Amino acid sequence: MEVSVIGSSQAKILKTDLACRELGLLSFKNGSRVSWGKSQISFGRSCGLRNSGVRFTLKAVQTEAIRPQKISRPQSQHGVRLYVGLPLDAVSYCNVVNHAKAIAAGLKALKLLGVEGVELPIWWGVVEKEAMGKYDWSGYLALVEMVHKVGLKLHVSLCFHGSKHAKIPLPEWVIKIGKQNPSIFFTDHTGQQYKECLSLAVDEVPVLEGKTPVEVYNDFCESFKSSFSSFIGSTIDGISMGLGPDGELRYPSHQGLSRSSKVPGVGEFQCYDKSMLALLKEHGETTGNPLWGLGGPHDAPVYDASPSSNSFFKDQGGSWESPYGDFFLSWYSSLLVRHADRLLSLASSAFGNSEVAICGKVPLVHQWYKTRSHPAELTAGFYNTQNRDGYEVIAEMFAQHSCKMILPGMDLSDEGQLQEGLSSPEQLLGQIWSACKKHGVEVSGENSSDAVAHGGFEQIRKHLSGEDAAHSFFYQRMGAYFFSPEHFPSFTQLVRNMKQPQMHTDDLLSEEEKAKEPVAATSESGIQMQTA
Amino acid sequence: MSSAVSTEPLLHRSFREISRPRFRSSTLRPSPPPASLSCAPKSPSFRHARRRCASGSGPRRGGWGGSGGGAALLRARASSSGAAVVEALESADVLFQEAFPLQRTETAEGKIFVRLDQGKDGQNWQLTVGCTLAGKWILHWGISHVDDVGSEWDQPPAEMRPPGSIPIKDYAIETPLQKSSTSMDGDEVYEVNISIKSNSNIAAINFVLKDEESGSWYQHRGRDFKVPLMDSLQDDSNIVGSKRGFDLWPGALGQLSNILLKGEASDYKDKDASTDLEASKQEVRCLEGFYVEQPIVKVVSIRNSVNISVKICPKTAKTLVYLETDLPRDVIVHWGVCRDDSKKWEIPAAPYPPETEIFKNKALRTLLQPKEQGNGFWGSFALDEEFVGFLFVLKLKEEDVWLNCMGEDFYIPVSSTRSSSLLRQKESDSTETSGKTMETNTEVSSTEYTDDIINEIRNLVSDISSEKSRKTKTKEAQESILQEIEKLAAEAYSIFRSSLPTFSAEAVLEQEVLEPSPYICSATGTGFEILCQGFNWESNKSGRWYKELMEKASQLASLGFTVVWLPPPTDSVSPEGYMPRDLYNLNSRYGTIDELKDLVKKFHEVNIRVLGDVVLNHRCAQYQNQNGIWNIFGGRLNWDDRAVVADDPHFQGRGNKSSGDNFHAAPNIDHSQDFVRKDLKEWLHWLRREIGYDGWRLDFVRGFWGGYVKDYLDASEPYFAVGEYWDSLSYTYGEMDHNQDAHRQRIIDWINATNGTAGAFDVTTKGILHAALERCEYWRLSDQKGKPPGVVGWWPSRAATFIENHDTGSTQGHWRFPSGKEMQGYAYILTHPGTPAVFYDHIFSHYQSEIGSLISIRNRNKIHCRSTIKITKAERDVYAAIIDDKVAMKIGPGYYEPQSGPQNWSPVLEGRDYKVWETS
Repeated sequence: MEVSVIGSSQAKILKTDLACRELGLLSFKNGSRVSWGKSQISFGRSCGLRNSGVRFTLKAVQTEAIRPQKISRPQSQHGVRLYVGLPLDAVSYCNVVNHAKAIAAGLKALKLLGVEGVELPIWWGVVEKEAMGKYDWSGYLALVEMVHKVGLKLHVSLCFHGSKHAKIPLPEWVIKIGKQNPSIFFTDHTGQQYKECLSLAVDEVPVLEGKTPVEVYNDFCESFKSSFSSFIGSTIDGISMGLGPDGELRYPSHQGLSRSSKVPGVGEFQCYDKSMLALLKEHGETTGNPLWGLGGPHDAPVYDASPSSNSFFKDQGGSWESPYGDFFLSWYSSLLVRHADRLLSLASSAFGNSEVAICGKVPLVHQWYKTRSHPAELTAGFYNTQNRDGYEVIAEMFAQHSCKMILPGMDLSDEGQLQEGLSSPEQLLGQIWSACKKHGVEVSGENSSDAVAHGGFEQIRKHLSGEDAAHSFFYQRMGAYFFSPEHFPSFTQLVRNMKQPQMHTDDLLSEEEKAKEPVAATSESGIQMQTA
Repeated sequence: MSSAVSTEPLLHRSFREISRPRFRSSTLRPSPPPASLSCAPKSPSFRHARRRCASGSGPRRGGWGGSGGGAALLRARASSSGAAVVEALESADVLFQEAFPLQRTETAEGKIFVRLDQGKDGQNWQLTVGCTLAGKWILHWGISHVDDVGSEWDQPPAEMRPPGSIPIKDYAIETPLQKSSTSMDGDEVYEVNISIKSNSNIAAINFVLKDEESGSWYQHRGRDFKVPLMDSLQDDSNIVGSKRGFDLWPGALGQLSNILLKGEASDYKDKDASTDLEASKQEVRCLEGFYVEQPIVKVVSIRNSVNISVKICPKTAKTLVYLETDLPRDVIVHWGVCRDDSKKWEIPAAPYPPETEIFKNKALRTLLQPKEQGNGFWGSFALDEEFVGFLFVLKLKEEDVWLNCMGEDFYIPVSSTRSSSLLRQKESDSTETSGKTMETNTEVSSTEYTDDIINEIRNLVSDISSEKSRKTKTKEAQESILQEIEKLAAEAYSIFRSSLPTFSAEAVLEQEVLEPSPYICSATGTGFEILCQGFNWESNKSGRWYKELMEKASQLASLGFTVVWLPPPTDSVSPEGYMPRDLYNLNSRYGTIDELKDLVKKFHEVNIRVLGDVVLNHRCAQYQNQNGIWNIFGGRLNWDDRAVVADDPHFQGRGNKSSGDNFHAAPNIDHSQDFVRKDLKEWLHWLRREIGYDGWRLDFVRGFWGGYVKDYLDASEPYFAVGEYWDSLSYTYGEMDHNQDAHRQRIIDWINATNGTAGAFDVTTKGILHAALERCEYWRLSDQKGKPPGVVGWWPSRAATFIENHDTGSTQGHWRFPSGKEMQGYAYILTHPGTPAVFYDHIFSHYQSEIGSLISIRNRNKIHCRSTIKITKAERDVYAAIIDDKVAMKIGPGYYEPQSGPQNWSPVLEGRDYKVWETS
């Protein structure tokens, strides 16, 4: 018996030995060994990466090792709470946890790294897939349980949209209704439909088996609340309300964006489904311009086109500046604001009593920001031009419902954009941010895409430090690339910098200093470190 | 070594090397001299880089090579099974015992001979091809007819095929060489005899020799061997209608042996040789019979082992390291000791074992003693207890061959106090100071590891409050946390990177994830797929197959099929569709493009996914080039000869060399060309969009590298994809070997090359079923590890099991399943893991209701491609298994009843020599 125990532990040693050998990693001074387990191939492939991994390790050792008690300080002052998005298909279309083993390992890694929590998209099309009111939360409950066990926080995003990318469509029964009644979807002037979410024009029209979409969303939220009641307010500390395409508050003005053109076009207005046209007609009649209410602008460019390719968005003398332009744009944008108002008020009444932060996501439509008309923002539904601030009204509405605003694109810099695109993510971010500040809306950051480019980390860091730092940050998103040797070390570096922005050097002196500090302080910090 | 070695008279190609990425480990830590220590065994004869594949860089026990996670895990298992030996010794003071594999290579020299002589009756001729080296030699051959215009191969008539021959598609035959009763200069001879009727119109026999063990091909200077039986190739105008009896010329073969005798074979140039060849044709046209020999060199991999055991000597309190090995010649141990994990070599103090010398003050060299019983050598080393490890490498005394442990020094932990993992060291450290963590378990399992680390943080943090001298410990803990994070990240990465890239990753998952992942991966679909091959070899005859099949769609759906495989849809030179020409023309002998679309639509309506049969390996040309060779393509993809691989002389391609085997009947497409890949991706995309295909059945994927397949699949995002990787199984003396690991390994290698994006037809399982059922040898259905012996035993989720298809069965009957035993085959594949495929002819036969019942049993019990299987019996006349603890089955005439334990078994289906039970 004894013998076999020894035998197997020996075998374990050998295993780590071998892994280490394969990798050719540097041994640490004190002789401890790195055990990479399965990863040796991926990390062994490129020497450069391996080096950076090692460098990171040493540095990380320094910073963490020095003064654990100081970790909590920046957090308590303007602590940025970092959430990492779980894979979009973390719960599969068939309602089972996908990549469970990978996610379990990932969660542990994040916990050890000191990340606050994770973000989990919950799909309408998964939970209420088969029939209205028939909810199946099992997959998500299992995942929440996993997160809870690891001791991470969870921010859930209620997704009332579908995602081609994650291959998760709208609920089957909704798609079926859509086949009979195509006007529940956004439609452009050529009649092309956007089928990944419902048109905001039918929010309060009983198109779903006698219920309005808002009622259906509300039932969904209530069911979520009762199913997850034991987690809400504890593990679940935030809820994002899906507001439109990809969860963002906007019109799907860039559907069918062709990949061939490098510079994204201006997008198209999405006001051609039956309900939208009816509303427009009504609006035209009530404002005394019945002819204006017969359709959208006739001189707007097509999706991929540049603003000057037709007369509506022209910098000089474009129709957008005409009375008709104002008529149309204020109507178009007001529908978006009203839509957000409806959904956020729904969310705040559903979850207002719970200890959760309610959020909504506003997109960063930074293309063509440097033109006078801001055409991309106009087609997306933000009446924000050289002459007019379109975000104040949105910030105000968020404030009314005590909602926080998630702003993506925090990793983007003006330099990273194509010159011809006349875009300015930084200026736009600044504009929205100041609107939020004015109305006391807390801002959460998010990166723009699944892959943060190299300079992106620096940009994120910039937004997360300083006076008006975001109060939390959603880092998108866990997956193969996230944990790849190309990316993970940079992410780790980001986390460490967020925690201790000013600490860059190791010196043993400070460690001696710490030794003299009172015992009580350090033990307290120890507890905070655990819960962090 | 002799000059024959370095001249390399034969081209020695290893396809498997191409398809498998190799990762060389590098050593950062300075290793003691000599510098060659950290390398794989070296020998002066291995100066050709491509030989690397033969020199061992690690054991490949049952080994799925390739991606790393698997490899590491595998080794870990190998060592733990070695550790199990300890128990057998029952000696309380054995600290360590392990057998390490030693892989080395030797070059064996031999010769290939080709003999043509007249048979006894003077009527027939006999061609003998033989080899004097041991191995699983396969003759891969075909014939050329007198009236052949091109130089493609044809299959010889059935009466020419020696027993044990296997047809490879429709152009070649593979015949295993048999051990001959005669011997040549004392060497064993393996040979095959082919008899040729003198009145046949066979112009030439073409062949290459293949070594199944190494997967190497032996060709004649980069070309096929060619034994001309008539001079028809030489003088085209002469042959038609006028057979001139049996004229023979030894051609290249006779000439070549002469050239070789001249010495440095590598010096000769192609040009010279071919002129010689021309000359020989003229001279010896009327020669009768010949005999030629050609030297070959084969690198043989030899596996030995070294056994290490470590004990404490009760008298002297010293650590005794006992080493024994079965290496054949004098062995020197080059050794040292170390004091810590850094493995820095040190020389211990004397006394040393006998025959020990100090080598450059850095290591000791001890000559091992021969064992008394003869085989092998041993040595014993006494070490002081202060040392932690015993380091060594082995050297064969006479040769400059070093043997090490996968590119590293052998490291044997000898100290019992240090024989715990890193974490445990740390735990005991903190125990000394705070005494808090002692409760944590002493055996650290890998899953609990992280929890322990989290505890560790907690303990450490509280330690900080009370402990003053924790400086070093904190650092250590931080390091271990960071290492843990990196380990976890690496783990997550490897799983995320591809859903399940290697077999071993899956094996781990099997224990934890009971529910199959419904994540749809192109290789597995949902995992619950049941495939129907929706055509046979005759389906093109009616010209309206699409319409005919459409009428059967609902029936197929009600039988429980989820995927149907349709015939190749493109314009094709052959009516069956496997000789595609204009890829964008989808009007074929099966019907029009519109009928195809309707059919796909119909299948979608009944919830059956549709696989298109895509032939990517070769494509028939529409035009001739200036030399009259058909290698200019037409249609929308009007490629020229740059799209054709260069190493098939028949088609004069200007592309690169083929990345796989060549299909000789049509120009093989060069997938290394960007424009080819781009066009094919577009085409697949178009098929997906235009026709609505959900996935692919990939024809003849042996012909090109699996990595390209991955590229195509990534681009076309199929719901399901399965490749046809068909080569022959291994036979010894005409009998199929029990162990077909090499065969399934080749299929696994291909799947690996596709990065797991495609499954493959489990040819291995079919072959083994043949042998088991035909000869009543049901024991064959369990491999040495008690798992299914086919691909399905190693990588079930990627195995598409089948018993028959349009090539093997139907009217071609190249490799027909034992007649009357089809239902046993289906009882096997339809209850087992893997994705089963049922052949059209069987569905619409008297077997239909039985197949339908099996499918419904499979569906009812939710058996899927990753279901667990326990083989409960594998004996002469009966095989039985329990799948997912829900279904029990047996095949064979023998008796079997599942034992009722926690489950109660009740029979649900019984047929001729098979029976299936369900739990009730």
